[in-house]
Amino acid sequence: MSEHAIEIRDLRVDYGEFVAVKDISLSIPFGQVYGLVGPNGAGKTSTFRVITTLMEPTYGEVKVAGFDISEHAQEAREVIGYMPDLAPVPSDLKLWEFLDFYAQAHRIGGRARRRERVEQCLDAVDLTEKRNDWAKALSRGQTQRLVLAKTLLHDPQVLILDEPASGLDPLSRRDLRLTLQGLANQGRAVFVSSHILTELAEMCSSICVMNQGKILASGSVGEVRAALGGAERKINVITLRQPQVLAQWIEDQPGVREVLAFEDQVSFQFTGSHEDQGVLLQNLVTQGFGIRSFEEGRSSFEDILVEIAGENRHS
Amino acid sequence: MNDEAKEFQTKPFRSSWMIWTNPIVRRYARSRLRFTGLGISVLLMTLVSAFVFFVARGGGVNFLNVKEDVARLPLIPLLIVQGIVLFGLGTGQVAGAMTSEAGEKQLDYQRLVPMKPLAKVLGYLFGLPVREWVLFLSSMPFTIISLVQGNVDPYYAIQLYAVFIVAGVLYHLTGLVTGTVMENRRWAFLSSMGIVFLLYTVIPQAAQFGLVYFKYLTIYPVVTDVMPHLAPRMMGRFAQQFQEIAPQAKFFGLDLEQFIVTLISQGVLCLTMIVMLWRHWCRAESHLLGKLGALGLFLWLQIVLLGNALPLIENGEIFTSREIEQRLNSRLGPVFHGWKPYIWEATLMVGFYGLVTLVFLWTMALIISPNQDTQLRGWRRARKLGDSSLPSLSDPSTSFIWVTLMSFVGVGGWYLFARGLIGSHWFAGNSLSSMTIVAMLLTLLSGGWALQAILETKGRKAAGLVAIFAGIVPAMVAVILIVSGDLMTQAVWIAGVCPALWPLFGAGAFIVDGGLPKEVASSIPPAFWVWQSIAFVVTVLLLVKLRKSRAKISKSSVNS
Repeated sequence: MSEHAIEIRDLRVDYGEFVAVKDISLSIPFGQVYGLVGPNGAGKTSTFRVITTLMEPTYGEVKVAGFDISEHAQEAREVIGYMPDLAPVPSDLKLWEFLDFYAQAHRIGGRARRRERVEQCLDAVDLTEKRNDWAKALSRGQTQRLVLAKTLLHDPQVLILDEPASGLDPLSRRDLRLTLQGLANQGRAVFVSSHILTELAEMCSSICVMNQGKILASGSVGEVRAALGGAERKINVITLRQPQVLAQWIEDQPGVREVLAFEDQVSFQFTGSHEDQGVLLQNLVTQGFGIRSFEEGRSSFEDILVEIAGENRHS
Repeated sequence: MNDEAKEFQTKPFRSSWMIWTNPIVRRYARSRLRFTGLGISVLLMTLVSAFVFFVARGGGVNFLNVKEDVARLPLIPLLIVQGIVLFGLGTGQVAGAMTSEAGEKQLDYQRLVPMKPLAKVLGYLFGLPVREWVLFLSSMPFTIISLVQGNVDPYYAIQLYAVFIVAGVLYHLTGLVTGTVMENRRWAFLSSMGIVFLLYTVIPQAAQFGLVYFKYLTIYPVVTDVMPHLAPRMMGRFAQQFQEIAPQAKFFGLDLEQFIVTLISQGVLCLTMIVMLWRHWCRAESHLLGKLGALGLFLWLQIVLLGNALPLIENGEIFTSREIEQRLNSRLGPVFHGWKPYIWEATLMVGFYGLVTLVFLWTMALIISPNQDTQLRGWRRARKLGDSSLPSLSDPSTSFIWVTLMSFVGVGGWYLFARGLIGSHWFAGNSLSSMTIVAMLLTLLSGGWALQAILETKGRKAAGLVAIFAGIVPAMVAVILIVSGDLMTQAVWIAGVCPALWPLFGAGAFIVDGGLPKEVASSIPPAFWVWQSIAFVVTVLLLVKLRKSRAKISKSSVNS
């Protein structure tokens, strides 16, 4: 078996003149929950649709569990479990019938075995009690859980989940997180996208940030944060004296921008080195500004993506 | 994969043709054959069938003395009810449900299940209309009683129902293709039912113009053929007379049974549609037909059009006037003597053949011509792979050469038909002019190339607008002029703009002394040649534009 669950090389997807995905390359190993993050229109869903063989790329090579999807789409489909964004369910089937249909399509053999597997999957998403309800009668969160059960039916090695947590209540989200981490621990690869970024950061071993069809950064959450946040960090200073006087002084220092003063606090962005930061603190103390606190923060993950989305709108 | 999951995946792939084990068929059997919904439908179907059965028999008792004749009376009314359910409702259900599944993105799931594309096509083909098949079966006991008590030869009953079932499959495939192409459920439902309605009303009329092939897309020929054996004896005699004067099933030199020709005609179309759907399931972005496939289908259509029509010329069976005269003679006695076809009738038939060929050509061009997006994607892919051109059989490559080839094939078919008809012993005083092939080439090449160039440079919406303003508006203006007064010459000149009328004008121009009314006959040739010259110049300009557009796309793909 291939070492990587998903290997993407030079993938490009066009919709006419619009380039949805521009020459991205990515490798996702087995045994990880890998997150794909980006604002709307970043190219996440197009990437997912190509990997799942639902869309032909303009060009590029994609392998799933070692199967090149352009030549072995059928084999790749056997190992993929895909849950689309806003996953639909048929209105004319009951929950168990819906799962039973896909169990048959995936050749899970024998009526008794199939039934057993359906019950297992319903149980895994806590829908056993609703097995005889109509699929159309489910709430949004329950629908998401049902589709997750369908995705798990054939025990795929590679799970691709587009916004799986949308519509789930906090408890279900926690359960989803635990389920996905459990699947990764069993050696499967879980490739998941979400707009709930903090949650994705908690859930994923690694993430990849996309914007305007390109990968901006990938790696562990810390590495991505460092890569995107750069050297710039936010510094908050609390003073015992006049914050306006302090703000004026800070504004004149090198590497400082966006100085804000309010109540007893002054905050600013600092792009200097760590040594420069030490000198700045020393000067603040020696200048006698009555420094009570000097705290370094980083732009949060959420802030970084909000900034990216903002840049998209202006560009 | 863990051991527990391995335990669940033990069954091998089943054959695509074992539809009773097809998961998609089973899925729809489960949802569409639920006791409550199905029970009401079966009850209604049984009531209607019983009503038809007893009314026909009850009425028959009053004027038929033989018990067997009375028993046969419900057969045709029952066939009509079964046709409405299976052909009409079944086709609409298939098209509507397919569109709906695509709209709700359910099809994405189906694409991912590891079933063969053919199994998916067959699953939807027999799964979506499963209720209509059951309703059809629920009416069959009445049919069987009528057949048995009417002492009908099983051979004819089997012929009729074999063709009926194949026709049902053909129309359901039509619905499946319509549902795959269209996005709105209601429109898909109505369009597919409309197609079936046209198949039984308008399209068979093409047989009146010598294109007997279209008749075989319905069950009419087989019904006509077996009618003497199904109807009560008295009616059977009328049917027998009707059958004797109707054109026989011939294919070039072969004499074939009507039901064989019907099965072949419908079977090839079924196969074509299965290929279309198979391609769609393999790759959603694919054209419905590949370039070679489109050329092959076009060639096949020309062969069957000619194969069915040419053998009927010699004995005059191809001419509608002969059929009308024989019917009148059979009803009123020998009223007409010495029948001979009219030359204007032949001129119309030649024009109509050209029109049908042009419509086929446009249909193929619509299917295989790539839009700008497809071309751009293809070029980018080619550039990435280091290629300097697109593979000629790929979807993104231009359809120019294929439209050209089809035009030549079309001209071949059209010319053979025209020569066979006008050169026959019926029209010893008439002939084809020396410019016939030029006229045919101009008509098909201008029409085909122009549409192809518009599709590849501007897309389908632009082609639709051109069809309205160059096709429909001039024809409407011409009609207004004709009904307004003595403006026939002006009407002819304006109608000559309409590309769909070019073949009819062409026939008027290249058949020497074509028997058209004097005013029309004098205006058509100059109108045809003037408009064809203009159309050809416009088409060449469009092709130059297409060439530039393709060069631009090719260049832009290098930099992007």
